Parts: sequence; C-alpha cells; structure tokens
Amino acid sequence: MTIDDNASVGPASGPDTGGGPGASGPGSSTAAVSLREVSVTFGSHRVVRDVDLDLVRNRVTALVGPSGCGKTTILRTVNRLHDDTGGKVTGRVLVGDLDVYARDTQPELVRSRVGMVFQRPNPFPTMSIFDNVVAGLRLNGVRSKSVLQEAAESALHHAALWDLVKDRLHSPAVKLSGGQQQRLCIARALAVEPEVLLMDEPCSALDPIATAKIEELIAHLATDVTIGLVTHNMFQATRVSDYTAVFLLGEDRATGELVEYGPTPVIFDAPSDPRTRAYVSGEVG
Amino acid sequence: MSIAVLPGDPGELTDPIGTRRELVRNSARRSLARRRLLGRIAIGLCVAATAVSLTPLVALAAYTTGRGLHALSWGFLTHIPTPPGIPGGGISNAIVGSVVIVGLASAMAIPVGIMAALFLIERRGRTANGLRFAADVLTGVPSIAIGIFAYAVFVEPLGHFSGLAGSFALAVLMSPIVIRASEAAMQSVPRDLWEAGLALGIRRSRVVRSVVLRGALPGLVTGNLLAVARAVGETAPLLFTVLGSQLFETNPLQPMAAMPLAIYSDSTAAFPAAQQIAWGAAFVLLVLVLVLSVVARLVSSRLNRQAH
Amino acid sequence: MNPTLLEEVPPPRRTPVRGVRETLQRRGARPSGRTYALLRWAGATLFASVVLALVVSLLVSSSQAFGHSGLSFFWSGTYNASKSIYPTGIFIIGTLITTTVAIVLAVPVGVGTAALLSEFAPKWLAGPLSIMIDLIAAVPSIVVGLWGLLVLTPVFAHHVEPFLKKVPVVEWFFHGAALGPSMLLAGTVLAVMILPTIVALSRTALASVAVEDREAARALGATRWQVVRTAVVPGARTGIEAAATLAVGRALGETIAVAMVIGNTYVLPHSLLAPGATLGSAIINNFAEASPGLDRSSVIGLVVVLLVMTALVNIGGQLLLRSRLRVKAA
Repeated sequence: MTIDDNASVGPASGPDTGGGPGASGPGSSTAAVSLREVSVTFGSHRVVRDVDLDLVRNRVTALVGPSGCGKTTILRTVNRLHDDTGGKVTGRVLVGDLDVYARDTQPELVRSRVGMVFQRPNPFPTMSIFDNVVAGLRLNGVRSKSVLQEAAESALHHAALWDLVKDRLHSPAVKLSGGQQQRLCIARALAVEPEVLLMDEPCSALDPIATAKIEELIAHLATDVTIGLVTHNMFQATRVSDYTAVFLLGEDRATGELVEYGPTPVIFDAPSDPRTRAYVSGEVG
Repeated sequence: MSIAVLPGDPGELTDPIGTRRELVRNSARRSLARRRLLGRIAIGLCVAATAVSLTPLVALAAYTTGRGLHALSWGFLTHIPTPPGIPGGGISNAIVGSVVIVGLASAMAIPVGIMAALFLIERRGRTANGLRFAADVLTGVPSIAIGIFAYAVFVEPLGHFSGLAGSFALAVLMSPIVIRASEAAMQSVPRDLWEAGLALGIRRSRVVRSVVLRGALPGLVTGNLLAVARAVGETAPLLFTVLGSQLFETNPLQPMAAMPLAIYSDSTAAFPAAQQIAWGAAFVLLVLVLVLSVVARLVSSRLNRQAH
Repeated sequence: MNPTLLEEVPPPRRTPVRGVRETLQRRGARPSGRTYALLRWAGATLFASVVLALVVSLLVSSSQAFGHSGLSFFWSGTYNASKSIYPTGIFIIGTLITTTVAIVLAVPVGVGTAALLSEFAPKWLAGPLSIMIDLIAAVPSIVVGLWGLLVLTPVFAHHVEPFLKKVPVVEWFFHGAALGPSMLLAGTVLAVMILPTIVALSRTALASVAVEDREAARALGATRWQVVRTAVVPGARTGIEAAATLAVGRALGETIAVAMVIGNTYVLPHSLLAPGATLGSAIINNFAEASPGLDRSSVIGLVVVLLVMTALVNIGGQLLLRSRLRVKAA
C-alpha cells in the first residue's frame, strides 16, 4: 500500500547506482517502473486494488504472496497484457517517462521495452533455437542478419546458454530440457534489450537444479536490466531480490492489495505491518 | 546450497545488455505503422475469404427457393409426373418413395447400429478396435461403391430393381454414422451411474435400458436424425438399385420413385417444364433436410436441458 | 445391543463393483442376460460382415476386368475391341485435376475464414457464421449439382471463363472454348462442398494453439496479426494439413455433383476449360449401360481404383500426421 520510508536500508543511493525506494514521485530516475493507485477489475470482480509500487532501476523487486492476491495481475499491467484478457486497469503505470496507459501510447512499443518470462517455458514449438531467440527482434522489424547474429549470441551468453547451444542453433527448441527452455525464453526476452524484465514465477515448473541456475542468472542480469519477479517462494525472494512487495487478500477476502513494500531484509526480518509479519513467519498463506 | 554453474560473469564474454537498445527501439517504432497496415490487409483478406465462403450458401438457398417456389403447388405435391412435354406433373410418388425407402433403411440401420455401439462400449481390445476401424473405413467409401454393392447383393440375384435394394444401400451408408454417434452418446453417460445400477443387483440389460439409453437419449436422437437427414439426400446409392419410376409405387420390392432420383433425371431432361420440377423437388428436399437437421439439434438441446 | 460396540463398527463400505459384475456375468447365464449379450454380438457381427461383404463383392465383381488386363487396368483400363473403352488413366487424371482445383480454391478461402472466425471476429458473430458455413455441408449433393448445372454453368460459360481467358499469366491454363461444363466448373463445385470441412477443422486447429504461445509473441511486441502469423498458424499447421487431407478424401468420393457439371468426354483435357471425366463421373455414366460380363466388371474395376486412391490419400494423411507428431514429441 505505501512505500516504506522508515526502513530505507538499501544500497548507497545516488543517481548512478539506482538508489532505494522512498524516492519521490513518478518519473524519478531511480524507479524504472512506477505504479500509482493501480487497480485491475475483471467484469464485476476487482482482483487487486490501489497498488503503489516502484521497480527500482537495475534492481530485483520480488512480488510475493499467496495465490490469488494479485501479484501476477499487477505484473501484467506493466506490459499491458490485460488488453487481451479483458481486465480493466485503472491508475497510472510509468515505464521510465512513458505513461503506459496514455491514450496515444502504442502497446506494442511498450512491450518492446518491457520483456516478460512466463511461468511455464514457452518457446515457439515450431522454431529452432536461433529463430526463437531472434523472434522478438524480427517481430520488431530488425532484419539485418549480422545484427540478429550478434544479438542472438549476446542474449544466449546472458542467459548462460551459449556454450550449450552454440553448435546446434538451428535444431528445434523443443528438444531442450525444461530449465534450458526457460533460459531460452529469457534469452528471447533479453534479445530485444528491454529496460525492464518481468518474470512471472519463472521457476515454478522447474526442478531445483534448474531453479538454482536461473536464480544465479537473475542476480547477474540485474546489473543491466530492472527485474520484477513474481514468486510464491519466500526463500527465493530472500535469495535473489533487493526489494520485496507483499500482496495479501484484503479484508473483504476477495480483492488483493499491496500490504508492504521495502528492502528485502527489512521485509523479512523487521516488517512494519502485522499482516506481513504473519505472512513471512508462515502463519498465513 | 549454491551450485556454481555459470562460467564467471557471462557479461564479460559479450556486450552488456543495452548495447543495441536504441537500435531495437527505433526499429520497433519505425516498423509499427507498416506492421499494423499489413495486419489490416491480412484481416481484410480474411474477411473477403469469409464472404466468399458464405456466398455459395446464400446463392444456393436463393436460387433453390426462388425457382423451387415457382413450381410449388398443391398439385405438385399430390400428382405423379406427367409424360415429357405435358405440363402439370408432380412429385407425389417421389415423396412417398423417399419416405418408404429411407424409412426401411432407418429400420435396418438404427437398431443394428445401436446394438453394435452397445457392443463397442462394453468390450475393449482388438475386436472393438477392429469394429471401429471398419466403421471408419466405411465412412470413407464413396456412396457410389455402396450402391454398386447393393446392386450385386439385391438387384442381380432378384433380377430387377427394387426400393428394398436402395434401402439396403442407404442402411449400409447410415450404419457407421449411427454407430459413431450412438457410441459417443452412450460414452457421455458417466460410468458411475452404470456401476451404481449394477451394484444394486439390477440385470445388465435393464441397467442399459433405464440408465444408459435414457442418459444417452439426446445424443442418440440427434445422431440418428442426422443420419436420416443424410440418407434422404443421397442419390448415388439409389441410382442402380431403385432405378426410379414415373408411377406411384409403394411396394418396396418394385422399382420406386425417390426425390433425389427425380431431381437427377429431370435436371438433365431438355424440357424446361422438367427442369422446373427438378427445382421444386430440390426445394422440397432441401427444406426436408434442413428441418430434420434443425429438429435434431433442437431436440438434443431440449433434452440436454431437461437432464441438467 | 451394546452402544459402545455400535460406535466402534466402521460404516459399511460400498460393495466392490467388480465383484458384482462378475456375479452378474455368471448370472448372465439366465435367458434375459443372454439375450442382451446375443443382441450386442448380433449387431456387431452383422455390421462387420456387411463391411467385409462390401470389400469382397467389389473385388470379386471386378476380378474379371483385372484378370483380363492385369495391372495395366490402372492406366489403360479395359480394351474391348468391339465397343466400350474405359481409359482409366484419363479418369484418374481428371480426378486429380478436379481435386487439385478444389483444394487450390478451398484451402486458402477456408483457412482465411477459419482464421477470421477463430482469431479476429467477435464471439457473438463467429458462432452464427460458423453455423451458416456448416449448413453447406448439410445440403444434399444432388441439390448442389442441380445448382451447378443449371445456374453456375451459364455463369461460367458467359462470364467467368471468358474473363479468365483474358487474365495475363494464368490464361495459359484457360485456353480453348468456354462452353461451360469443364474441369474448372467441377473443381469449383467440389470446392464448395469441401469448404465446410476445411473451415471447421482448421478453426479447431487454430483455436487449440496454446495461450502461452500467443502470449509469448504478444509480450515481445507483436501486433495481433503478427501473433497469428508467427505463433498461431505454424502451431496449427498439422491440424490444417489434416483438414486438407480429409477434404481431399471427401472430394474423391463426390460423384453426383461432379458428373452433372463435368461434360463427360474421354479425352485428355488440354485446359481447365475443357470438359473431361473423373472416376466417379465415369462410373455413374457407364454402369447402367454396361453389359454384364467384362463391361460391367470394368466399371466395377473403376470403383476399385477409386477406393484404392481414397485409401492412399487416407494412409498418406495418417503418415503425415504421425511424422509431425513424432517431431513434436522429440
């Protein structure tokens, strides 16, 4: 619900390094993504209400909470995926200086700045590894073979997949294992060089080893990309994220809300809100 | 537990993320208008395709109704055909013939088909699969082949054409449709209902009668009505079995008239009067088939609603 | 009665059904049970024997012709010095040409329609439209043939065919006199009849592409059309190919409507505007007049050739399906 000003214990602030939360309003150089009073309604059912949240630039922000509290719904407001699902979004979402829901904003352009990785690995089943990685570039009009080649190699390096696939770039993507496919999807998202990478429970369909690999990846990626990570695994949040936002069901037991948001150590060791305390200690959810 | 799986910092080996950010952003923005335009053209082509798809239906309905209604009159429905060139003929013999032939065919195909479907749902394994395969094969056989088969079985030995031979051909045509539809309808009855009946000690045949058939009734009615609708419109199986007739004949052991046959012979005749009769018969046939199809679906949705 | 004892007794379990079924099967020795089992067997056996009889009868009836000409029947048919000749090869070519025309016309139109109904049209419109297209399938082929013969033929003769002769590049296919009954007309009538199959099956194939694949394309910045082109259509390709194969099978079996509009000449067609014959039309037009013996056996031989073609198409379709599924599973 509010940005936790009191416990602003984060990395040294400053315009270069990205600073901490509690920064001023929208358009701040420390927040790559800002949500202000965002609510999402499906039909007559309001799924999540009045979220004020920042994704700090070049840091990992985890959205945690039990199922059904709106974490994924909120994540999807950032890249306007609700345009297709029929959810109505109110409030303001800013990516950098861009007002995502302004009338003259083109959703496709928003989506080329904000990448997404989904819960279950979803490489395009009829395409090869290479075609998958460059799919986003091709969709956005990049044709030059040299650019595609460079971008694919770079993205696969960043997803820690290059050594594995460099000799079989043109074999079908579906031949990779689950964890490898998910890294392929990460590479695919990265190839478009987004400012923000949204990850919706990327490890929930994977085994522990694949999960560990991806968690390591997230830590490395955060230096160049702002990451918003939805996870129902609190331990994962403590392992990889710099900031955590806790979502729980409100009093009406029907609408989710953001209960508390702050640096991860604070949220888990010294939360302000009693509901947060109940959640992180395992009493609730 | 930390698993060291990455060879150092992957970013060291390649450019940092963001090297091509401007390039991608510009490309996305510049190409958007073109991509949107291409999309609109493509969707426009799909709309055109849909219009093309609907045109034959509309044209068929319009012409058949337009020209068919011209021919329609009480006399048309109650008189038999007149000799060529003489006006005033009708299709009463064809209507009655079709009713008799299709009625006999249904009386043959529906019971046998339902019994075979009962066999399929009770047994598993190679025999059942073989039977299903046979039904699939039969569905793919052209109706002309079925007609010629019926010719070999009925017409050759008896020495003359007959309505019965046509009924047999139609029954063979209908049977795989009846079997498939009946099997599907029966399988939609939840297994627990069966077993509850059996567990109560009720005879299997009784269980089937009261539980399965009653539960499958909507699907059975639809499936069988659709099979009948299909049979009413078939021509090829009747060509070499029933032959057709200008006379009013209700004895299935004799050659009879039937609507598809009347249409076929009248359409190729040179007289415009004959062509008019063909249109009239086509209109009646079309209405009959559509009514049967619609009734089939209505009955099934009504019965489905009652069941739930 | 000891109340404590009652409390300790667990509630009665349901009778294990398998036990009951076995009991009933033993009890099925009773007349009514036996009758029911007998009825089921009778239905199944009757059906199976009819199918078998069909295949056997056709093979037996055509054996005389095949015995006479051997395998060359599949190409040159029966040469009967006195009168009728059944040039199987020409019929096969006619069948192939009309079927190809039908597919070339019906697949793009059908898939485009399916794409609209499945991806772009609003739900309240897609339902009624698809019902209307399915209705075409319900129209008896004799009615379609009648319409083709009496309505389409003059339209083709006076408007469509002369127009096609003037179009550059493709006019090579359309030279010769535009009389109306032609390969083109027959192919068009066939296209109308197989269209509902293609639309319905393609629509299912398109709709069954997983939401995840669509979302992946969307999240990368694709427009609605780009999503369909890169994620949906490739995923539906197998299903669309299956639809096309099924449609070819249906087209092969369609005899009446084709016979009414194809013109029935037994010469190799030199253009799409030329009349010709297909296996189906040849069978219909010759069976009645064929004299018993070699003549009639030859016509039935044509039926067998048609069945073989249909079987080949079906097997080909199955093989294609299986090879695609193998790639997916790997």
